Amino acid sequence: MEIKEVINNGTTLIDIEHIAKIYQMGAEYVHAIRDISLQIKKNDYLAIMGPSGSGKSTLMNIIGCLDTPTKGKYLFKDMDVSEMTDNDLASIRNKEIGFVFQTFNLLARSTTLKNVELPLIYGGYGASLRHEKAMKALVDVGLGDRVNHKPNELSGGQRQRVAVARALVTEPSIILADEPTGNLDSKTGLEIMNLFNELWKAGNTIIVVTHEEEVARFAKRIIKLRDGLIENDSVNHEQRSLIEDSQS
Amino acid sequence: MKINEITENIKIAFEAMSVNKLRSLLASLGVVIGISFVILMGWVLSGLDQALEDTFNIIGTDMLYIDKWDWAGGRNWKKMRQRKNITYSQATEFCEKIKSAELAIPNAREFGYKIKYKNEEYQGMSFIGTKWEHSLTPAGAILIGRHFTQFEDDIGANVIVLGYKVYQALLNDGNPVGHYVKIDGRKFLVIGVIKKQGTMLFDFVDNQCFMPIKAFQSVFGRSGRSVSIAIKAGSIENLDEIRVESEGLMRQIRNIKPGEENDFSINETKAFESTIAVLRLSVWGVGIGMTVLSFIVGIIGIMNIMFVSVTERTKEIGIRKAVGAKKRTIWMQFIVEAAILSFFGAIIAFAGCSALVYLTATFLPEFVPATAFLSPVLPYELLLIASFVSIFVGMLAGVIPAVRAANLDPVEALRREN
Ligand SMILES: Nc1ncnc2c1ncn2[C@@H]1O[C@H](COP(=O)(O)OP(=O)(O)OP(=O)(O)O)[C@@H](O)[C@H]1O
Ligand SMILES: [Mg+2]
Repeated sequence: MEIKEVINNGTTLIDIEHIAKIYQMGAEYVHAIRDISLQIKKNDYLAIMGPSGSGKSTLMNIIGCLDTPTKGKYLFKDMDVSEMTDNDLASIRNKEIGFVFQTFNLLARSTTLKNVELPLIYGGYGASLRHEKAMKALVDVGLGDRVNHKPNELSGGQRQRVAVARALVTEPSIILADEPTGNLDSKTGLEIMNLFNELWKAGNTIIVVTHEEEVARFAKRIIKLRDGLIENDSVNHEQRSLIEDSQS
Repeated sequence: MKINEITENIKIAFEAMSVNKLRSLLASLGVVIGISFVILMGWVLSGLDQALEDTFNIIGTDMLYIDKWDWAGGRNWKKMRQRKNITYSQATEFCEKIKSAELAIPNAREFGYKIKYKNEEYQGMSFIGTKWEHSLTPAGAILIGRHFTQFEDDIGANVIVLGYKVYQALLNDGNPVGHYVKIDGRKFLVIGVIKKQGTMLFDFVDNQCFMPIKAFQSVFGRSGRSVSIAIKAGSIENLDEIRVESEGLMRQIRNIKPGEENDFSINETKAFESTIAVLRLSVWGVGIGMTVLSFIVGIIGIMNIMFVSVTERTKEIGIRKAVGAKKRTIWMQFIVEAAILSFFGAIIAFAGCSALVYLTATFLPEFVPATAFLSPVLPYELLLIASFVSIFVGMLAGVIPAVRAANLDPVEALRREN
């Protein structure tokens, strides 16, 4: 009940109205998203589920301003994203959004620290502030002792932590994770989910795409997609709280 | 564009290049060759310019030379040979009558003669009989000792002033100044040495020795040769007036009827300019074609490698875009990389050319004396120009690959495996 109040009273961060994403493949059209409307408020914790090809990643990319909808309206903090230039979108991605991907997507040749600094470089931060912020983010995800390692010198779980640190470092309005545990074993996956839970508790807004019920259970709201439509959108009354679980 | 992004781009470029050193080297080979051409061409041209300037300083830009021969050489050589000699008396008459000039001196010349010093015979120098006023012209500047005096001139004293090269040759047997040399069996006292003046095209000037014209005539005879007249205008503005007066006066002295062509030439340092201009043009002609060609090869090489680089790093571009890199930042990244790649080629070219230029300028003149005008160091302006050219070429080569990189769709790019 307490959670529901948060949803109702929080400020709307994302307001999606009747968006569609249609890809043209030769003569055929692929409706990756048919018609989706969705509001996400501050400090929401959303899990998006659904079978493969149901449009989860497509929706995520649109929310994250990596992609734009073919139809419909998308307001991010009351700004109309569909009217934005590529530069504006890049700027929103930089300042407002933190991405975590299934395959980590770290720069292979750069150190952990450099990877985490990357968004700050494009955000125009000076070297010393960059260093300070990146160090803090790495300490926050428990990698303060791995700053000079390259990605191939880290375990999968550690790599995903680096990715989380990179997503956090600009203090974005929302963290988007597309199957963040998909390439991790279940124990490591839980550790990452723990991390998200802590972030959520600290006031962050989080959206996680996942196949796994285990993972979705951490969210307070679960959306199920099918064939580019929302099949179900509900509050998770059995939201799982963390630490104990991950240690079990 | 923020400073941050620029330094970041430069770092990325160096990283990318250090990963593929050999490939980078090969890619920039065209630029290496192109820049080498630019440098070497500029080097030769600047040498020619320097030689021209040196020559002007020797001959003096305010000098006119009346001669049977035309320096520019454009005219028919046979026809010039048929001209009557300018006799000594014609020359002296001219020198007495000319009003507008500061100085006018007759010069009689004997080419390729020999001199004897301490039982050793030296060959190939020219002897010039002239007036004491020769010492007042730039060509008569003294290095050691003195020039002959008006008195020595008047009496036709057997004294001689050596050209620098002649002096150097004689030096083998001890300093000749103050000693006697023999010319055609006659003893001459060496009283001085002319400053080194020779430049590439005109190194014969250091092979000339000067003596009073009367002494010259007693050795080589009064007639049978054409005497030339050196005229010092005093200033370049006077040249036109003097040219007109000289022509009229000379035509009068040589009895040329109105409507007949001059049977003498009035030579100026401009004649050297045209010689140099022809040389410059041929250096350009050969050089520019090769340069353009190698830059085309260079641009294709770099463009190609940049396309490969964009393809290899598509995923990286996707990641950078996902965390907020703007199009122009990515564009910049690849332009900077191409420019640095090309500049790196230029540096190789600098190093190679510096060595080549040093060795050439040091050793080649020993075998080919005409190349003595070449400088052993590259003028730094040339390096500056070559740097800019290489950076420009690199940027040009990078434009299309950079645009391709900048326009990559981030979602597509992130989907890549690598
Ligand atoms: N660039 C594209 N061109 C053509 N079709 C595409 C493109 N991207 C996605 N699709 C199609 O859109 C549909 C939705 O894809 P999406 O990646 O969003 O699915 P998903 O729910 O994330 O699936 P998974 O669970 O396998 O990741 C799929 O049918 C896919 O084939
Ligand atoms: Mg997906």
